[in-house]
Amino acid sequence: MPDLALDISGLRKSFGNVVACEDLTLQVEVGQIAGLVGPDGAGKTTSFRMLCGILPADGGHAVVGGAEVTTDPEAVKQHLGYLPQQFSLHRDLTIDENIRYMADLYMVPHAEWRARADELLDITYLTPFRKRLAGRLSGGMRQKLALVCSLIHRPRVLLLDEPTTGVDPVSRRDFWKILYDLPRQGVTILISTPYMDEAARCSKLAFMSEGRLLAVDTPQALRSRLPYQMIEVRCRPQREARTALQHEPGVASVEVFGDRLHIALRPGTTSDALKPALKAAGVECEEVSTVEPSLEDVFMALTLEGQTELTA
Amino acid sequence: MRRTLAVARAEWIHNLRDPRSLFVILALPVLLLLLYGYGINYDLRDITFAVYDLDDSEVSRDIIQSFIQSGYFKLTEVITDDRRVRDLLDGNRVVFVLVLPPNLQGALGAGRPADVQVLINGVETTRASAAQGYIDAALARYSQTLIADYARRQGISPPQPLTVHSTILYNPGLSSSSFIVPGLIAILVAILSALLTSTAIVREREWGSFETLVTSPVQAPNIMIGKILPYVAIAFVDVLLSVLTGVLVFHVVPVGSVALLLGVSFLYLLASLATGILFSTVARTQQLAILVAMLSTLLPTILLSGFVFPIRSMPLPLRIVSQFLPPTHFLIIIRSIYLKAGGLAVLWPQVLILALFAFVLVTLAAKRFKKRL
Amino acid sequence: MPTAVAVDKLVKKFGTFTAVNGVSFNVAQGEVFGFLGPNGSGKSTTIRMLCGLLLPTSGTATVAGFDVRREPEKIKANMGYMPQLFSLYQDLTVAENIEFYGGMYAVPRALIVERLSYLSERLELGVVLDRFTGTLSTGWRQRLALATTIIHKPPLLFLDEPTSGVDPITRRLFWEVIDDLANDGATIFVTTHVMDEAEHCTRLAMMHYGDLIVEGAPAQLRQDIVRNMVEVRATPLWNALEALEHAPEVVEAALFGDAMHAEVHEDIADPEATVRIALERAGVQVEQVERVLPTMEDVFVSLARRHEPADRAGRKG
Repeated sequence: MPDLALDISGLRKSFGNVVACEDLTLQVEVGQIAGLVGPDGAGKTTSFRMLCGILPADGGHAVVGGAEVTTDPEAVKQHLGYLPQQFSLHRDLTIDENIRYMADLYMVPHAEWRARADELLDITYLTPFRKRLAGRLSGGMRQKLALVCSLIHRPRVLLLDEPTTGVDPVSRRDFWKILYDLPRQGVTILISTPYMDEAARCSKLAFMSEGRLLAVDTPQALRSRLPYQMIEVRCRPQREARTALQHEPGVASVEVFGDRLHIALRPGTTSDALKPALKAAGVECEEVSTVEPSLEDVFMALTLEGQTELTA
Repeated sequence: MRRTLAVARAEWIHNLRDPRSLFVILALPVLLLLLYGYGINYDLRDITFAVYDLDDSEVSRDIIQSFIQSGYFKLTEVITDDRRVRDLLDGNRVVFVLVLPPNLQGALGAGRPADVQVLINGVETTRASAAQGYIDAALARYSQTLIADYARRQGISPPQPLTVHSTILYNPGLSSSSFIVPGLIAILVAILSALLTSTAIVREREWGSFETLVTSPVQAPNIMIGKILPYVAIAFVDVLLSVLTGVLVFHVVPVGSVALLLGVSFLYLLASLATGILFSTVARTQQLAILVAMLSTLLPTILLSGFVFPIRSMPLPLRIVSQFLPPTHFLIIIRSIYLKAGGLAVLWPQVLILALFAFVLVTLAAKRFKKRL
Repeated sequence: MPTAVAVDKLVKKFGTFTAVNGVSFNVAQGEVFGFLGPNGSGKSTTIRMLCGLLLPTSGTATVAGFDVRREPEKIKANMGYMPQLFSLYQDLTVAENIEFYGGMYAVPRALIVERLSYLSERLELGVVLDRFTGTLSTGWRQRLALATTIIHKPPLLFLDEPTSGVDPITRRLFWEVIDDLANDGATIFVTTHVMDEAEHCTRLAMMHYGDLIVEGAPAQLRQDIVRNMVEVRATPLWNALEALEHAPEVVEAALFGDAMHAEVHEDIADPEATVRIALERAGVQVEQVERVLPTMEDVFVSLARRHEPADRAGRKG
């Protein structure tokens, strides 16, 4: 039985009448990159905060990096690195000063943190900007700095709450280069992301919606579990085609992709079954081909089917 | 310790890199001191008056002269018309009007009683009541000279009135600056300290960097101390600057031990800074923090601490409340040091109370200050 | 096709900082024009100048025939603008906010009711009409914001990062609505930092630190900018990435989903073979090497690298 870096069971949190997190159960092995995905308001940030020990849970257990956070929140903090959604370093401190601040907070020995800082700043291409105030860095550089700061004390577990949102593609790639190397060093990562291509890189994915966990599995398994068949069609006129198809009971979803439509067919429906409706709408279609379902399709299916209330 | 210093260092850098705010923090007390020091003045000078002399005799002119020569009054107008009297008073042009009735000299010469009328503008109550005192004194003096003259003319040596030798200890010139300046120092420091710490913490929450602190292993009391440290230094500098301003500008020099003053100021600072921390636990935004800090320190401190209004003349409930304000006790100490050279031997009860306040407030703040967002 | 927006050498400086550095482009009527770029690249600044909210430092721009400097009020009367920051009233309900904006744009009462019903259906706002705006999550807030932007059916729409922070479902919905509006004849100028949304645009321009680095139709850009893009599946992935990064013929290699995308130098005739050799030399097990069309993100990164201004240090090569 491999070591678990995160052992979460039945974690709960409500704010008044709103259930932010309901019965979260998840296990992440040491050295895994696990992803938490879900629509807005799904409870991801709330879950992160509970795992960090900064938000008390209403119930359940979570062992993070060897310490039980619900009974002893302070114990998990020394071995935890956390990147919240909003930039939480000091904007009027330089890169160097911010790193020193973090090193001091976590009591990292002087010799060690200086060497580590040099190394990390080099990998993230931030070295030329060491004396620059954090507030003067671009969004991507700020996030890279935040990552460096969260790693300075060699945490066992790294929690990242949508770290690359709004970050430029170049910085995002730099960011992932570091992340992807961490498991080799024994670091376990739990990352929430709105980008499906990042979700695909995780060895384990957990889908949340409205506070509930809808599915937990590897990306490949989730894709194969999708009950729909995905086909790609080129139709003219496209808009009428889309409207007609959306009303078909055998169609789970229709998405526009440039000049093509991606259609999710429910089990039992074939592309032929759609022909009458399309003809009635005066639409001409060609080039029907099957496509691999993407994680986004899985996401859509899970969210739509699992959705009961359209609220925050 | 290293962690606490890290927090303190970050806070210190925040202040250094915000030179405008720093300037305001350091310069403001001095500016306010100058403003209020000069502005609040209980000593009355140039009490404006007008005279309606219906007698126009040597006696009436004598009376008018004695008023002018006293040094407190300033004659601005000689009235020749009835209506002018009301005009001047209604229009707030003079503090009082002296009306000398016709045939004043004649009446006095014939040994008949003579009435002098003084119409005082009561709108400015403070000036009016003080003016009344001066007027009565001036007229009494004149009456005195009348009696003395009469006695001499009769060949009798006039009865000597009781001579009152009053010596005003500790503040011989009854200079109100000496009274105001130490009081101002106490008030300003209290308000500023509370404002500084409350906004410092709320500001960190607003910026988002509080989340980093809360996630780290640093303990809440250490965070609190780290946050206070830079402001102890800054507020202390403020105290020094204020004392210096008092000396250089108002010539108000503490006659007692400056070391004791600074030592007690330190306790007082701690109490005030801790109050700021308490405010930060109820305020969610900087605006609210400033509001809470100002309302909770400004009004009670100015009105109830004995700064302006003597505590002894307050109704009992307010007297009790005032005992629970640190500025009340600090004021006693600082005034004593400034004016009486009071030492620890005399002041130890107040010092003890202040120490208690500091301890209780810091503990309370530490209890309430939690590692929560 | 008449031109809806014409921009010529538009510049905006804030003190010494140049936010927009002489951009020029045209948007034809009925187009969905995308303005792509990361945060801080000058997109929002440009849109604000076009809406008449910000005065340009130099250069000219004409929107719906009106000059942005001299007739900004006429532009505002003919357009809908959805700013990046949510700016509706938190303590009004969804329906009240929509009605408010209807009133602001002087839409007749009867028409407001009709539009409200259409918008509730199209943007699925029916269930939240009576909810207080402050209680909505980002996805719902953005839907509401979009509704207020189009309540008066403007011929010209400026949407500044409408899908920012929004979940994939809302994202899809948004683009469907934008499509519908374009089909009805509106011209839409939309900014986004999500490169893949470019697929939905008729034409697009990319911004990089204030400069416009490319302009064109998505399909054409994908074909022309990066010719030798290879998709690689190999294990272990990390070693494969390192091997490709060190290969001299490979210009750029990055993770792509659970695979990799490698841009091979355009002079190489057989990029697939080159990549395979590099990987095998590193002892990596190759599962699949296939030439593919680059994604919009690949295109952006490639252009950004070529365009890197001299003082921006840090990239390899």
